Amino acid sequence: MKIVNMLAVVDVAKCTGCKTCERVCPVLAIKVVNKVAVVDEKDCRSCYACEQRCPEYAIAMVKRAHPFVVGVDIDSVEYERVARLCAKARFNPEQLVCYCSATRAEEVAAAILKGADTPERISLVTGVRTGCKVECIEPILRLLEAAGIQPVPPKGGWQWYGRTVTAWEIPEATKKKYASRGFYFDEDIELLDRVTIAPLQGRRES
Amino acid sequence: MRPVIPPISPRSSQYGVDPALVGKRVCELPGMTSVALSDLFPDLPQVIFPGAGGVAGVRRATLEAVEKVDMTKIRPEHSVNILASHHGFTLLGGEPYTEMLKTLRDVIEQRTGCRDIRLRAGVGLRFRETEEYIRRYGLDRYFQGKAIGVAPIDEGFPIATELGTLYGIRKVYDADWIVHAHNSDVREVHFHRQVDRAVKPFGMSYARIETRSTYHQNLGPRAANFTARAIFDSPFVQKKFAFASFLTVAPNGIVGVDADNDLYALNDRVTRLGCTLYGKMMTLFGEIDECIVALDFPCPVVYVFAAGVIYANFAGANTDLYDLELPLPAYTWYTEAFYGKRGKPLLEDIPPLNPAIRMCVHNYAWTGYPSAFFSEHIPTVMVGQEQADLFRRDPQNLNYMKHAVVAESMESAMEFAKKTTGTEKVLIFDGAMGGINLSEPLAEFLLQKAPTVARRVDEELLPKWLRQRGIPLSGAAG
Ligand code: SF4
Ligand code: SF4
Repeated sequence: MKIVNMLAVVDVAKCTGCKTCERVCPVLAIKVVNKVAVVDEKDCRSCYACEQRCPEYAIAMVKRAHPFVVGVDIDSVEYERVARLCAKARFNPEQLVCYCSATRAEEVAAAILKGADTPERISLVTGVRTGCKVECIEPILRLLEAAGIQPVPPKGGWQWYGRTVTAWEIPEATKKKYASRGFYFDEDIELLDRVTIAPLQGRRES
Repeated sequence: MRPVIPPISPRSSQYGVDPALVGKRVCELPGMTSVALSDLFPDLPQVIFPGAGGVAGVRRATLEAVEKVDMTKIRPEHSVNILASHHGFTLLGGEPYTEMLKTLRDVIEQRTGCRDIRLRAGVGLRFRETEEYIRRYGLDRYFQGKAIGVAPIDEGFPIATELGTLYGIRKVYDADWIVHAHNSDVREVHFHRQVDRAVKPFGMSYARIETRSTYHQNLGPRAANFTARAIFDSPFVQKKFAFASFLTVAPNGIVGVDADNDLYALNDRVTRLGCTLYGKMMTLFGEIDECIVALDFPCPVVYVFAAGVIYANFAGANTDLYDLELPLPAYTWYTEAFYGKRGKPLLEDIPPLNPAIRMCVHNYAWTGYPSAFFSEHIPTVMVGQEQADLFRRDPQNLNYMKHAVVAESMESAMEFAKKTTGTEKVLIFDGAMGGINLSEPLAEFLLQKAPTVARRVDEELLPKWLRQRGIPLSGAAG
């Protein structure tokens, strides 16, 4: 869940149509049309990615006159299904997956169960990945995969490239080779497993 | 008591309030003093910076250190990317790191005849931060227009590693050779746990979001830094790696420069330095029974410095961050992730944030790092409405002010903090060089505790820390 209180605004005099903004926008809300960047105001999630990467400094973030909140209501989906999806992706439903928007695994799972089938659509409806824009891509891809969805990165974009390794997939030979160098692979797996099944706080376990 | 040490000045940056809005610094309050780190721990090494010679000592040390480095593979017609990271520019004002980067450029050109030498400066979560430093320190001119900041959302490419595919930033690797220019400052011990500290940027400031998310979400708190090793060990990176050059840093300043063609040899020296030099400081901070923390440094909340220790580590100083038997420090992103909807840890054995911190006065610290966890769990007073508004606009801190209150001035914030907590112990994170600015009662407390802490670290903790990391107890500290 996220409050969207700012909006990207393009200075058309400075814009060269280079498409950097289009390639980094996590919700595909900015596009170059006729050699100039255009923002879809209703979709912009106030993440600052375009403003921070525009090589011409052509984008400013301005206060929205009418801030709004995006988020998926967990109660609109059968919680049993949410919990199952989280468990399959090895997350506790209440585990935070986005530190900036304080989005928990259950909300991303609910978004997927309600039809969000790409990281872009998930970000649009939950606000996840529109804060730091860095740390939460893998949980999203893991939850999508657990739902049997194989999303394709936006064509020509730099939004994301692919799912990567998890603790449970580290080769045994690698674990052995580096065990004496301070990497606690199996102990961390044990910890992550305990978190996954830890009792929920927000609602009684069914 | 000693006079206070001049704090690092506020910096003009898009991530912080206008320096003109930063009124009085916390160390200017009556009753504030300083302790010299050498008075706490007399065995801390001599430093080359800060000192009378300024950064000239850093240039000399860099030249000496790289003398033993083999650069014969770099040909005049080749290109070289000197890889830098934002952290270096926050150390002791940033000049020492800048001087090392400039010296590296000069010496590579001189020894190899190569003229296509670029600077690629990676960032954390503030994507234009190194752009600001490049301009501030004239690195764009020094590198003849070939200095750029790179961000984790920039164009990436796959790197085949023993953990499968991870992703790097294309512009980091777009040269024939890379030179890893970093520092040994421990900084985020809560993340890297002093395991492969020297390798970390390969999984972080040189890496794409997928890799960084792997580190912070996929692997676990004590396996995370393996992403960096996996990338560094990949045939692709090995083929390009020329050498590494590090500022070696102690809590009291820059000790020297260490350079090597073998990053793992350097890494072992950095591990030893980190455990030995910073372990005592962190353990001493863990002894503090109660205090008010004052943030007063041009960096995000977690990164403000006191005695080389960042606030994020003081927030976890109730646990031994170096002890790898401890799965989760009181603060790390895994810990934060494992707090449930009622604001309590999902597991009973997750330690709370340092209960000694009774209140935090945020006089001056930047946005650009998710910090709401701190204001949610530590009573926080923000100084100034402008700074509060800046945090409200920051997409990484939309919830920070939900949990903090605003005071009109630093003086009123500190008065409020003292009255409500009842403690006279104040620890100031303002980057004071060579010492710590703090209140008199806390200075006395630390001076009294330090000898016992030093003995405990030397005799009991350090041997354990090194053993856990596979580093022999004896050996040169580098
Ligand atoms: S990144 Fe900037 S210059 Fe490039 S298209 Fe977008 S607004 Fe225009
Ligand atoms: S969502 Fe982010 S990248 Fe997209 S238009 Fe808005 S501020 Fe720019």
